[in-house]
Amino acid sequence: MKTLKITTVIITIMMFGFIAKTKAQNLSARDIVEKVYDRPSGDDQTSNLTMTLINKNGNERVRRIKQFTKDLGEVEKNIMFFQSPADVKNTSFMSWAYDDESRSDDQWIYLPALKKIKRISSDSKSDYFMGSDFTYDDLGDRKLDDDTHNLIGEETIDGVEYYVVESIPKDEDYMYSKTKTWIRKDNFIGLKKEFYDEDAELLKVLKIKEFKKISGFWVIISSEMENVQKNHRTTMVLDNVKINTNIPSSRFSERMMMRGV
Amino acid sequence: MEKLLNKLLNYPWVSMAVIVAITTAFFFLMKENTKMETDLDKYMPHDHPAFVYSDQAEEWFNIRDGIIIAIENKEGIFNTATLDTLKQLTRRFQKFDEIDKNDVTSLYTADNIVGSEDGMDVRRFFKRIPRTNEKLKGLKRNVENNEMIFGRLVSSDETVTVIVAEIKDDVFTQEFYQEILEVAKASETDDIKIHVAGRPIVEGTMALLGPADMQMMVPIVLLVIFLVLLITLRSFKGTLITLGVVFFSTIWAFGLMAAVNIPIYAVSTMIPVMLIAIGVADGIHLYSHLHTFVDHNPSASRKEAVTDMLKQMWKPVVMTSVTTAVGFISLLTSQVYPVKYFGVFTAFGVMMAMVFSLVFLPAGIMIFGLPKAKKVDMKENKGGHSNSKIANSFAAWIIKNKYVSILGTVLIIVLSVFGLQEMWINSSFLDKFESDSEIVMTDKFINEHFGGTSSLNLILDANGKKDTFKEPEVLKLVDKMQKDVDGQLKVVGNAFSLTDYINRMNKVMNEDDEAFSTIPDSKDMVAQYLLLYEMSGDPENLNKVVDYDYEKLNVTFQLKSDNSKAINSVLDVIHTYEGRFKKLGISMNYAGSGYKGLVFTDLILEGQIMSLLLSLIIIIVLISIMFKNIIIGLISSVPIIVTALISFGIMGFLGIPLSSTTALLSSIAIGIGIDYAVHFLEQYRLNAINTNDKLVAAQKTMAHSGKAIIFNAIVVIAGFLVLIFSVFPPNRELGALVSLNMFTSFAGTLTIMLVLLNVTNIYFKKSK
Repeated sequence: MKTLKITTVIITIMMFGFIAKTKAQNLSARDIVEKVYDRPSGDDQTSNLTMTLINKNGNERVRRIKQFTKDLGEVEKNIMFFQSPADVKNTSFMSWAYDDESRSDDQWIYLPALKKIKRISSDSKSDYFMGSDFTYDDLGDRKLDDDTHNLIGEETIDGVEYYVVESIPKDEDYMYSKTKTWIRKDNFIGLKKEFYDEDAELLKVLKIKEFKKISGFWVIISSEMENVQKNHRTTMVLDNVKINTNIPSSRFSERMMMRGV
Repeated sequence: MEKLLNKLLNYPWVSMAVIVAITTAFFFLMKENTKMETDLDKYMPHDHPAFVYSDQAEEWFNIRDGIIIAIENKEGIFNTATLDTLKQLTRRFQKFDEIDKNDVTSLYTADNIVGSEDGMDVRRFFKRIPRTNEKLKGLKRNVENNEMIFGRLVSSDETVTVIVAEIKDDVFTQEFYQEILEVAKASETDDIKIHVAGRPIVEGTMALLGPADMQMMVPIVLLVIFLVLLITLRSFKGTLITLGVVFFSTIWAFGLMAAVNIPIYAVSTMIPVMLIAIGVADGIHLYSHLHTFVDHNPSASRKEAVTDMLKQMWKPVVMTSVTTAVGFISLLTSQVYPVKYFGVFTAFGVMMAMVFSLVFLPAGIMIFGLPKAKKVDMKENKGGHSNSKIANSFAAWIIKNKYVSILGTVLIIVLSVFGLQEMWINSSFLDKFESDSEIVMTDKFINEHFGGTSSLNLILDANGKKDTFKEPEVLKLVDKMQKDVDGQLKVVGNAFSLTDYINRMNKVMNEDDEAFSTIPDSKDMVAQYLLLYEMSGDPENLNKVVDYDYEKLNVTFQLKSDNSKAINSVLDVIHTYEGRFKKLGISMNYAGSGYKGLVFTDLILEGQIMSLLLSLIIIIVLISIMFKNIIIGLISSVPIIVTALISFGIMGFLGIPLSSTTALLSSIAIGIGIDYAVHFLEQYRLNAINTNDKLVAAQKTMAHSGKAIIFNAIVVIAGFLVLIFSVFPPNRELGALVSLNMFTSFAGTLTIMLVLLNVTNIYFKKSK
């Protein structure tokens, strides 16, 4: 009897191990990340973004931005209008990001005090977004096959199951040497991500604090990025999110930048 | 007291054993527990308002001292090999544990923001090393067109480029420095030379070099003192015992420091200096008396001789020691902790030297025997009343020609007062090195090519009023001040603040038109430029010049010298703007190690003058009580005052600045001056009572105390003159000034003080 019991236990463990393995094999790391990248987000989105920068002394800079995004297939267009602080009100920023990897983004800035639109060209995707701790890449400009992905484990935290994926950039000169992402198995939202710098030291930690289903799409409502080396944090909170309201393409033009919201 | 001392004479071995045992215990305690404090920041009184503000500001703006690594190529730096070295070294320095990655700045890390017809372009100067001629030329053009880089990270003759690595607090060690030098040397080639400079290097090297040099020189000093003592005391045993007193008191002082866990600071190296000068004095006076006694009573036993010595001498020894100790205790008024410790432990050492002189020294004589008697020919004509021809004629001459001493003293005082006008304080570290030393040469080299290796941070504070430093009116004033300071003073290499970013952004947004390198008139425009910079440049850069709420501004002035004259000249120009800023609700404060050094030196000096005056008063009072006569008290202060005045006066004439160590030397003037004065006064009093003749008293005192004083001076002067051969200039100054102080103390005591005693008719009221 005793031996039988032990045998059963062993077999059960082996079976589970086998099942877990096949499951992981079924879904490769690349597949998992692809699901994260391709999580449907609608064709266009309107929202109010509150971005708060917090420095090591706890001082805050709060910026309110009205933003519009539209995916036009080959190109994703985005336009933002600063609402506050008052001295930068109506400053606007527009970017067109192309699917074609060889083509770099087009960016424009409009300064109302100068009454001029200026093109900004920048050589690196590692630029920080508006002085925050997020780079443009962190905000979703990164492409699936820019990195090699490895599934390094699975974890259960507070009853939620996650894949843990390590992504190593193919370009050795890239600003991160690797990232580690905790991806929810149920909805493929990357809930936590660690960024390691060129010297493989932990640089930043991204945490998703709130996500919501809006018009049938999962939308990240509140997130926080902390640069652990500089002791600097940025929180981004969205409200008034509207999806698929059919924003006309003409909204994303220099004329509209100058006109304001 | 005398009874106790005599009783102890019966058990010399016991006293000897107890003292040696305790000394051994202290010695091991010292060996185990002693730590050196080389971090100069630890010396600063951090609760002083100037320091509190500076420390805060350093935190707000991440103000740190930078190590400067200069890469030189005489053929120009815009070639693949030099740029490769620059990139590799930048990356290497980012990897040091002592350095934060973000605190390394070079052409490799910098952003180039340029304007074009229709927009703005933000790029790294280079990421991959340019290899084609065309790319190298492009880089050269970009650098030349960016005034925030050209002349700052690349020299205007394009032969030198620098990496600035700001280091964390408290991390500088000799090993770290060696590692830096090795890394730098490893990158050198036939064409490429690497130079390393910057305040952390200077500070660190100084903190290590000074004490190391002392460690090497002190044995030589002791050897010379030993030899001279041997000649003057005419006794090997006596020399050993006298030096034993010095040695033991030093060990006790440092042992106690170790026991109460106080580290050794740079000024603590002055403790043995003081104890040598003072400890030797007690021994010489005691032996001098013993010699006189033995010479006159060749058949006396050890016990008789020593008993007489103690009877006659315990009082002056105690009096000198107590007054000297009190003089040092007065250093407690200083706001600088290392100086307080210095005062307390030197005072302790002096008191211990007294105990050893009265217990250990007699015990030693009891055990090892008396010095040999010199045959005294009583019949020979000595031209006076003592048995020393020289003493007799000298004393007689001094008294006869009183006006020479008086006039001489007055003249010296007047001259010294003139010298005092020339006196200046210097908190420079660089000035402490040889002018042809590697460290000074490198510094000079970098100063020739760049803004400067030293910096002063002006913190403009709107006292909580947000967005003040977005106001064009304010920024224009800051800009004007920067240009004014930069233009007026040659010592200022450049000035840097938020205004430089705004000028640059304004120019870039107006098609790179130089005419727009100004502060725009609209506050919104300033705010929008700043937002744009944050979005496109490295926002960290702005955090170094302005705080998050735009109510505090950091203006950095780069100076080509770290000496106090240079810093003060900048402060003077800045101060002319104080009123205008005040009207705008903005107050001025300063930060950075250069400024703190300046304040610190002022504090030391202020404390030194305070304690000098205080100890002078205390000593006058003490002596007046001891001799029950206020005039004696006043007379005793004359040699001290003369010594201190001459010391400062000569420093003024020779341009030797007051620094933390040289300022403390005035304590020697007090310690030694009062020693001489008291011994002389006590002898004079005894002789006066016995003879009732002014000349006899003077001659006898001269033969006895006078001789001891001269011996004492010769011994210590000979010893400290050795320091003149030191490789570390501050130690050389120390040697010269201690010798000078010893000389003037002795000369003052034997001339002007004797004359004053003579003319005031002290102890001779009834006669004449």
